[in-house]
Amino acid sequence: MEAVTWLLFAIGVSLILAKIGDAIIERYELPGVLGELIMGMILGNLVYFGLVAPQYLPIVSGQGYTTDMTSIANFLAKLGIIFLLFLGALDTDIDQLKKTGVTATVSTVLGVFVPLIMGWFALMAMGYPSREAFAGGVLLTATSIGLTVRVMMDLGVLKSEVGAASLSASVMDDFLGIALVIFAVGTGSLFGLTLKIIAFFVITGVIWWFLVDYYIKFAERLHVEKGILGMALGMMFLFAALAEGWFAAAIEGAFMMGLTLSKLPEGKRLMDDVRAIGYGLLIPFFFVHTGAMLNLTVFENANALILAAVLTTIAVVGKILGRGFGAWITAWGRGRDFLFTRENAWMSLQMGIGSVPRTEVALVDLMVAIHGGAIPPSDAPAFIAATLIFITVSVLITPPLLKWAFRAEIEESKAARAAQKAERIQETKKRIKEIKEGR
Amino acid sequence: MDVEQALEKFHSLKLADINPGVASMPIVPEDADLMSVLKTLRTRHHVWVVRDKDSMELVGVIRYMDVIDVLLPPEAHKFRLGMTSRTMKSLLGGATKAGDVAERQVLTIDENDTVLDALTKMRKYKTQVLAIVEGEKLVGEVSLRILIDELLRLMRVGGAQWKQ
Repeated sequence: MEAVTWLLFAIGVSLILAKIGDAIIERYELPGVLGELIMGMILGNLVYFGLVAPQYLPIVSGQGYTTDMTSIANFLAKLGIIFLLFLGALDTDIDQLKKTGVTATVSTVLGVFVPLIMGWFALMAMGYPSREAFAGGVLLTATSIGLTVRVMMDLGVLKSEVGAASLSASVMDDFLGIALVIFAVGTGSLFGLTLKIIAFFVITGVIWWFLVDYYIKFAERLHVEKGILGMALGMMFLFAALAEGWFAAAIEGAFMMGLTLSKLPEGKRLMDDVRAIGYGLLIPFFFVHTGAMLNLTVFENANALILAAVLTTIAVVGKILGRGFGAWITAWGRGRDFLFTRENAWMSLQMGIGSVPRTEVALVDLMVAIHGGAIPPSDAPAFIAATLIFITVSVLITPPLLKWAFRAEIEESKAARAAQKAERIQETKKRIKEIKEGR
Repeated sequence: MDVEQALEKFHSLKLADINPGVASMPIVPEDADLMSVLKTLRTRHHVWVVRDKDSMELVGVIRYMDVIDVLLPPEAHKFRLGMTSRTMKSLLGGATKAGDVAERQVLTIDENDTVLDALTKMRKYKTQVLAIVEGEKLVGEVSLRILIDELLRLMRVGGAQWKQ
């Protein structure tokens, strides 16, 4: 089979399996991304499972057919990351972000920095160089709120104080997780890097914030098919190129373009088109590609298992401690008298548990760290395995932990529903009795 | 007036001339009960959401198609990066007020623009309604329904019969 034919075949198979994997996993009320990763893992390890002869090594794994084709597959996956972040930022409600309360803010900051620092120091203690250890810590920072929202909705507690604070915190949490990866992949002196970061945010976040409106108005006047979409994507790629050139992190450019566009109604109207390109092609390919990069032979090495165990433990404990402690010290804005109460401790624990799941942003940070050289190729297989393990563990343990943490609220809600039902039965009985008595 | 003449006149009309004014527009305050919004949407294609009826500060719009996200159960939504805003509009997910489900970034158009400008914008952004605002205050709207009514009125005024 020719290389191009093989690449087209691989993309086709990846997309079909991604969507099937997504659908299967969603049936179990787990994030669909897990299904896409598993499908990728199967595709990438067909030889390991004895399903395919070694000469047909799947190109989606990036261990490809030819160097050119592997580069194309890697680039497509990178485009997937760019679109994922662009879409995530475009969907952001900036007004909501501005309204983030003290509890959500403090708990988010600690919820990001506690696992980061714990991960950084733990990996350094294991002998990893500081830059690589820092990148490992960054992987643990961003929560994926989707699963928590779904479980909280099912439990009927999303509108509670803890639910609302968790939602507010999630936006800033993603923002920090994405921003911090610059420090992992950025090179040069800290002073030089800081200057570049400031310059980047001034250009893309301040100057562009005021210019984006005029740019879209200009795009509107072009009167060509999908002109606004094309012009917006064009500028997004320019920002991505700037971020890639300065920090080897194209995602930052895509994210900033999405964020600035999100303030405009015209920008929000692009979401359906961007979703179609992203979730129809590039993003599922990225997840399958990432899953395919997991080489199962890595588990023959104890170091990978130890790394996975350490990162998983810190991912869970670090988040609960950081986010929980952050919420606890604010006493939920109820003053000092509330600080040492059982209710404060319990609500803070609920907040911490809600921040445990990790999915998309952890994978994005992982890929950026690998492509940016913060995680060297020799350690990449172990980090990929460890990340996939802590993602899986975090999404599996969160629903039961949340149910346990909110058991009092669930019981209360059940009792209220039972009381309402009993009241309705009594009323019905009374009416039947009245009818029978001919009144 | 024949169709060509009517359309020519129609395209050059200023929106200010066909703006029905807020009195006849479907408007609710942001704390309005979602059920009352749904009742309005049985007969209208959209509802404007304002901070309150005194200030008329525009908060957002709830369009007919948004009702799909409101009525779907939470588990029917995908919880993925770039999709959460839709999910939060679910009635079973906890949305109770008009402000919870309103699309906050509203497409607007200037009162001095023409009908042709409005139609072009509607096609570009696949929308059937645009807000007319003064600063942040909602002062009118242009919708496909209004535009159709206006075209038909123009043709009636011209004495021509609709021949299609």
